Amino acid sequence: MDRRSRPKRHEESRENSRRNPTTRTIRREAIRLEDVWVAYAGSGKPAIREINLFFPLGKLVLITGPNGAGKTTLLETCLGLLKPYRGKAFLLGVDTKSRKILEARRKCSYVPQDFMKPPYESYTARQAIELGLVLENTPDKNTRVEWAAKLLGIEDLLDRPLGTLSGGQQQRVYLARALARKPLVMLLDEPFSSLDRETRKTVAEILRNYVDRENTTVIIVSHDTAPIIELADTTIWMNEGKVVKVEAK
Amino acid sequence: MLTLAAAAALVSGGLCGTLGYYIQRFKITTLSFSVAHAALAGAATALVAGTDPTYTALATAVVFALTIGLLSPKIPHERELLSLGFFSLFNALAVLMIYLSNVYVLSSASISVVLWGSLLAVTKPKLVVLTGTLVLFTAYLALYRKQIDAILFDKKLAEAEGINVNLHTLTLLLFSGTAIALALKLTGGFLVFTLLYNPVATSTKISKNARKQQILSTTIGALTALTGLAISYLLDLPVGASIALTSTTLLLTAHTAKTITEKTQLTKLKTTPSQQTTK
Ligand SMILES: Nc1ncnc2c1ncn2[C@@H]1O[C@H](COP(=O)(O)OP(=O)(O)OP(=O)(O)O)[C@@H](O)[C@H]1O
Ligand SMILES: [Mg+2]
Repeated sequence: MDRRSRPKRHEESRENSRRNPTTRTIRREAIRLEDVWVAYAGSGKPAIREINLFFPLGKLVLITGPNGAGKTTLLETCLGLLKPYRGKAFLLGVDTKSRKILEARRKCSYVPQDFMKPPYESYTARQAIELGLVLENTPDKNTRVEWAAKLLGIEDLLDRPLGTLSGGQQQRVYLARALARKPLVMLLDEPFSSLDRETRKTVAEILRNYVDRENTTVIIVSHDTAPIIELADTTIWMNEGKVVKVEAK
Repeated sequence: MLTLAAAAALVSGGLCGTLGYYIQRFKITTLSFSVAHAALAGAATALVAGTDPTYTALATAVVFALTIGLLSPKIPHERELLSLGFFSLFNALAVLMIYLSNVYVLSSASISVVLWGSLLAVTKPKLVVLTGTLVLFTAYLALYRKQIDAILFDKKLAEAEGINVNLHTLTLLLFSGTAIALALKLTGGFLVFTLLYNPVATSTKISKNARKQQILSTTIGALTALTGLAISYLLDLPVGASIALTSTTLLLTAHTAKTITEKTQLTKLKTTPSQQTTK
């Protein structure tokens, strides 16, 4: 059974919202940042500041900007891996400082910027994807893995140790893991960095389709706007820790 | 008596070897180092307080593991330095307690617990507690194998995906504190942590495969503890030092062997292409 078959979810969400106001927020909003300031320990100045953003579910968002603009910091703040020293951050309606943040994260996927594994990494691509499903109770984990692998064209690589794959192939494994989780929110940090131009386009289209079909919010951080800017619903430009421009279609 | 000690050496060596592997992969070596020395301070305090050294060490280690385990996620950047600060504090406390306990009138049996370990220190109940800890730890690993695997694969990603990394880290620290406190009597408090780190360090010299490293770490832990014990018995040397010397010798040997193998492989690589070009 696909837990995300559309009509059922809508019914369920209406049902839930009557009973439980928190569930209602969870269903509607993906991410909310209210005057967020984040600093790294000992750095003396904020890495990001005065951030006010709201993303509902079902949007494809592109965040762009030069090196050091604060894009990664922003993504990690959305997940609660970094905590604001001023302001509040909410993931699926849950304050990232609350204990419940673990539950919210379980409904999200993440692809980190520094994903490369060393040549001796012995986990296979399949295991790497499966490890993203350890907290799921679905009996069809295998189907999910194969589905995601097929989507990203890595079916043939599934049983190869990750360390023997190229950078682009490894990046596709991480993207497959992110998709296999069937998340409500996907946070992807430079997911195209190692992909060739052709694959970039394909992946961008896969993500666009996924957003439309599953009502998921996908946030892509990319200094290179090329393949995604036409497909994104919202584009956000960052510089020196601040949001300098927001463009919504 | 000797079988009891041999069993204790095998169990504590194997348990600490396994724990050491996870500690290294979780990147909490410094944290566990300070927990080990909390146990030492506890055992030394027992000399003055007149309590049982093992159980006092156990209490101190567990309380400290809880404290640092709960505190460290809140101060991720300072936790290494903080751990080292505690390490100094616990060493200072241990020395102070040994001084206060009046070394001259103490029987060598009780001081040996803190300093160099003793073959005679192992009792049946303590072996039972030690084995119980091993069983519990194995059960924990089996129960949470997948989640732990996800953390080992990529700690940050696991955290981002909602796995309770902090809780698993705390659990690991608690098991380490317990294992160290229980092994302390055998090896002495100043050397007990060699049981934790030498086996895993040796295993990384032998294999780069994570699974193999874990098995090697456990095996090396158990065997070096047993060999050290045998050497101590045969040559009438302190147990702790014998075990530490055995495992360090093995580590150095593995390191040397690895360096030589790598050098030879490199020379081979260097000569092969030049042969090809001449052809
Ligand atoms: N671990 C850290 N400790 C201290 N400062 C940091 C740390 N990580 C990032 N910074 C600082 O925070 C600021 C934002 O960094 P961030 O990594 O978010 O930028 P980015 O936009 O993702 O850059 P890139 O395009 O290079 O990935 C930079 O000024 C950087 O120097
Ligand atoms: Mg970045």
